[in-house]
Amino acid sequence: MYPRVLIVEDEILIADELRERLARFGFSVIAAVDSAEEGIAIATRECPDLVLMDIRLTGEKDGVEAAKEIRQQLDVPIVYLTAYSDQLTMERVKGTEYDGFILKPFQRQELESTIEVAMQRHAIRAKQKTE
Amino acid sequence: MISSGFFDISHSARRQFQAIFAATALAASPFLILPQLRRLMLATSFLPHLYCYLRNPALVWTHVVADSLIGVSYLAISVTLGYLVHKARRDIPFHWMLLAFGMFIIACGSTHFMEVVTVWIPVYVLSAAVKVVTAVLSLSTAVVLPWTVPRVLTLVRQAKASEQVTAQLRASEERKEALLREVHHRVKNNLSVICSLFYLQSTRTKDAGAIQIFRDMEDRVRSMALVHESLYSSENLARIDFSEYAQALAKDILSSHGSPRVPVCLKCEMEPIIMEADLAVPCGLILTELISNALKHGFPNDTGGEVRMMLRSRPQGECTLCVEDNGVGIPADLNIDSSPSLGLRLVRSLAHQIRGRFELLKLDPGTSAHLRFTVDHHGP
Repeated sequence: MYPRVLIVEDEILIADELRERLARFGFSVIAAVDSAEEGIAIATRECPDLVLMDIRLTGEKDGVEAAKEIRQQLDVPIVYLTAYSDQLTMERVKGTEYDGFILKPFQRQELESTIEVAMQRHAIRAKQKTE
Repeated sequence: MISSGFFDISHSARRQFQAIFAATALAASPFLILPQLRRLMLATSFLPHLYCYLRNPALVWTHVVADSLIGVSYLAISVTLGYLVHKARRDIPFHWMLLAFGMFIIACGSTHFMEVVTVWIPVYVLSAAVKVVTAVLSLSTAVVLPWTVPRVLTLVRQAKASEQVTAQLRASEERKEALLREVHHRVKNNLSVICSLFYLQSTRTKDAGAIQIFRDMEDRVRSMALVHESLYSSENLARIDFSEYAQALAKDILSSHGSPRVPVCLKCEMEPIIMEADLAVPCGLILTELISNALKHGFPNDTGGEVRMMLRSRPQGECTLCVEDNGVGIPADLNIDSSPSLGLRLVRSLAHQIRGRFELLKLDPGTSAHLRFTVDHHGP
């Protein structure tokens, strides 16, 4: 079975690129949404294997808040994907649980390797929990 | 040197002191000149206060100590006021008023000193004279002070208004900075979207040549996006450290070109150089071409090798950016001024744009590309 991915990204063309790249890595994209609210709703309903999260989103909440809420309800690896790398954003990101961080525009290999590491980290954590 | 420190007084202040001195001398001269007046002033044919206090030591010393303390404190206060006026006479409005206060306080202090003296020596006429002088000074201060009230209030209002202006300026500065950050972010985001467009288009073709073209374009746009990324996180939002940017860019290009079969390692010797964005963008594009060229053409047989990137600066802002590889080297017949390759053409044009000089040298083995240019440092 293909790992199921949720993309939360407000730039639709970047979401399209992610969709195609992920399909090539053998992932199945269950949805690409542009707001934190939709992201939280779909994540809690569909329980994806991975969430790719942009930080600036359409709507009230941003990606950091969405990641926090999703992680409270669901044990799913989250990879931030953002154009922001300023100190304030990084501080906020560090205050949440996440498994990877990619700066846009991302590199061809970067996306694949970061996602792989995130999935592995999550799997190891899940194993430790069950033991 | 008397003219330094406390005695370093302005012309107008010196005139004021001269006037005060003259008035004091004038007031004192009758006593010094006229023996009768002097006798009158220093007449001691009265009972000292000691007898009023019935020589009670507790009462006497309480009066003496209290009066001495008051006198010394008044003196200290007026010295402080004088020092304040001297130090900040240009910044304190109504400094003459403060000086008048000083005189008034000194006079008040001297009446208390006279109280101490007259406990033992009954120079009541002199003591009365001192009191008259104090009365005159106190009265003048009391009369003049109310007139200054409206002007002092105006000054207070002006100070408050200028404080508000400063706060407004600071707020507008902060808004400008936030706006600039937002602009860099949007530019970067749009460049990221362009990269996505190139990628999406490249997936619609099977032609390896076309795919390579889209990849090259993506690298070029990404190098520009990275400048805005650096600007966005830089402190002043206008300049970046090119050495940091260049290393991030080189790693980026290496990871996008490198394949596990061709291990090419990157070595950097970079001196920190601060650059404006309009210089960093063309330099970044040139660097992109040089590194991609080295990776694309330097190691055709999957042999692997090394790419060295160097950035050196000399005084007067002269810089040398150098990209070297130990690959197969440039073809003997390559002429950089007439080569039809877009990469070399871009390097040539951009070098011209930044008033730089570009050279391609053959190494044994490999190639060395040099770019010499000047960084203008204006402003802080």
